[in-house]
Amino acid sequence: MLRFTGLRLAQLAVVVLVVTLLFYWMLNLLPGNPCVAAFGGAATEEQIAECERDRNLGDPVIVQWAKWGGDVLTGDFGKSYLTGRSFGEAISNALPRTLLLLGYSQVLALGFAIPLGLWTGYKKDSVADKIVSGGAFALLSSPVFVVGLVLILVFAVKLDWFSLSGYEPISEGLVPHLKVMVLPSVTLATGLLPIYLRLLRTDVIGTLQEDFVGTARAKGLPVRRVLTRHVLRPSSFTLLTIFGIQAAQAVNGAIVVEFLFDLDGVGSLLVSWVSAREFLLVQTLVALIAAVFVTVTTLVDLLYSVLDPRVRRK
Amino acid sequence: MSDTTSTLAKVFQPEVAPRKRRHNVALWLSLGWLILVIASAVLAPWLGFIGDPHKPLSGQPEEGPSWSNWFGTDQLGRDMFARSIWGGRLSLSIAGPAVGIGVVVGGVLGVMAGYFGKWIDLVVSSVVNVALALPALVFALFIVIVLGQSYTNVTIAVTILSIPAIARIARAQALRFAAREFVTVANMMGAKWPRLLFREVLPNVVPALASIAFLAMGIVIIAEGSLSFIGASVESPSITWGNILAGGRGKIEDAPHIAMITGGVMFVTLMALNFVGDEMLRRLDVREARI
Repeated sequence: MLRFTGLRLAQLAVVVLVVTLLFYWMLNLLPGNPCVAAFGGAATEEQIAECERDRNLGDPVIVQWAKWGGDVLTGDFGKSYLTGRSFGEAISNALPRTLLLLGYSQVLALGFAIPLGLWTGYKKDSVADKIVSGGAFALLSSPVFVVGLVLILVFAVKLDWFSLSGYEPISEGLVPHLKVMVLPSVTLATGLLPIYLRLLRTDVIGTLQEDFVGTARAKGLPVRRVLTRHVLRPSSFTLLTIFGIQAAQAVNGAIVVEFLFDLDGVGSLLVSWVSAREFLLVQTLVALIAAVFVTVTTLVDLLYSVLDPRVRRK
Repeated sequence: MSDTTSTLAKVFQPEVAPRKRRHNVALWLSLGWLILVIASAVLAPWLGFIGDPHKPLSGQPEEGPSWSNWFGTDQLGRDMFARSIWGGRLSLSIAGPAVGIGVVVGGVLGVMAGYFGKWIDLVVSSVVNVALALPALVFALFIVIVLGQSYTNVTIAVTILSIPAIARIARAQALRFAAREFVTVANMMGAKWPRLLFREVLPNVVPALASIAFLAMGIVIIAEGSLSFIGASVESPSITWGNILAGGRGKIEDAPHIAMITGGVMFVTLMALNFVGDEMLRRLDVREARI
């Protein structure tokens, strides 16, 4: 187990290094001086010189990358030359919103997918199963921005239950917070729910064929208990495996959802930096996102090997 | 990375049930819709009843569906029916080549990894697993912005995104068939690897890849739609489904038909693609079981 963990962590380090270097190198392909672009084309000679010194533009790409890595590791993420705002400041404002959005939507998606997956797997081919599975199939075919627009039209415009005005932190009260967070979270959850549901349902159908399920039923255990105690855990391996990948895919959805609902989270930050051509910040952000996700996937993998010991021996 | 090879198949093909012929109607409806959408997208410039999507004041601005403007008009009075079709034309002309190249490149990489194993498999699998663990849209956005917001660059970005997913499925299929008895028999009869690969393994992988192509098409259309929705696909005045929807978002209170009708067209198209892909996967598996 220790050797397996060590191997995976070494792999992780290599991947993070390669991915960040790749993006550093790609940005160097851009025509023109990134420091001139960073000021929006209106900079004095001294400002450009200062920026070039900051970014070590005189060095080869690999040295620039190494120095950037050192800066990031010591907590210096750079700043916007256009607005003077630091990376850390912008992120610390945006990150809680994105994390809450991702957290709420994962809880919603799993909260519906697990009971529905167990139930539809158990009641396979019943009318209820057909309705739920058909709904999941329809959701699977709906881009989040289409779902979001429908929800906005119905619940914010027609029914006026929720507001569409930016973001309210929890500290401003639970009700205003929920008024702005419910629709985005539900929208994002609709992208995750059908995948979780269908995976779990498939695995539940498989697990229900196992002998130990028959034994549990024969002992007289109620169906509910058999499903939650005996069927859920062995059926959740695929779900867990996909969770790392889905966490990354949820960020795709989060970018779109934040844009749609004016949430000003990390995704909106990325889009606004990209359109303002603040490539130095984009680069740091993309590299960090990549690092976080490769780490998440590795951790999920390690967790998987704890739950299912067979994996370790491969 | 743990073995997640069959995950996509599990999402799209929940169980292998004995084939019942009950889905025929839905299947033909899906195929019919796809043919309709593709034909209108391809023939848009030559079909008289599809107006000019850029012409302002084809009707009163922001009016709902009417006899003269079937899908209504947008904020500038442009005909939404023409815009939906021209939007589909661009979205499909990005998704089509992207999936085509993705299937060929991903298929070749995946089959080689699955068939030859060893270091080829190690390299392909590692790259594929890392690529799948990263948020695709962030990278598509990055690629498009670095290269520039043109048709070619958007196509390149979404193609790169489609390759790892397709390669993973091709690898799983190749692995599965390379271990089959007919391949062993051919090997014992003295066939060399090109024959084994091209005559024995590949013909069995191609049908699965064809059904995956439909599912991948849906995924690529969503990816391109997301890019244009946040303003990072082909720049306006080019029309895509995504940028019509982004425009419709601002008008959702006064003219909800702009977003709802275009969203509906997109949704039905994606449903049809998923349904056909799903159905093909099921039928292929049944044939597999009968052998």
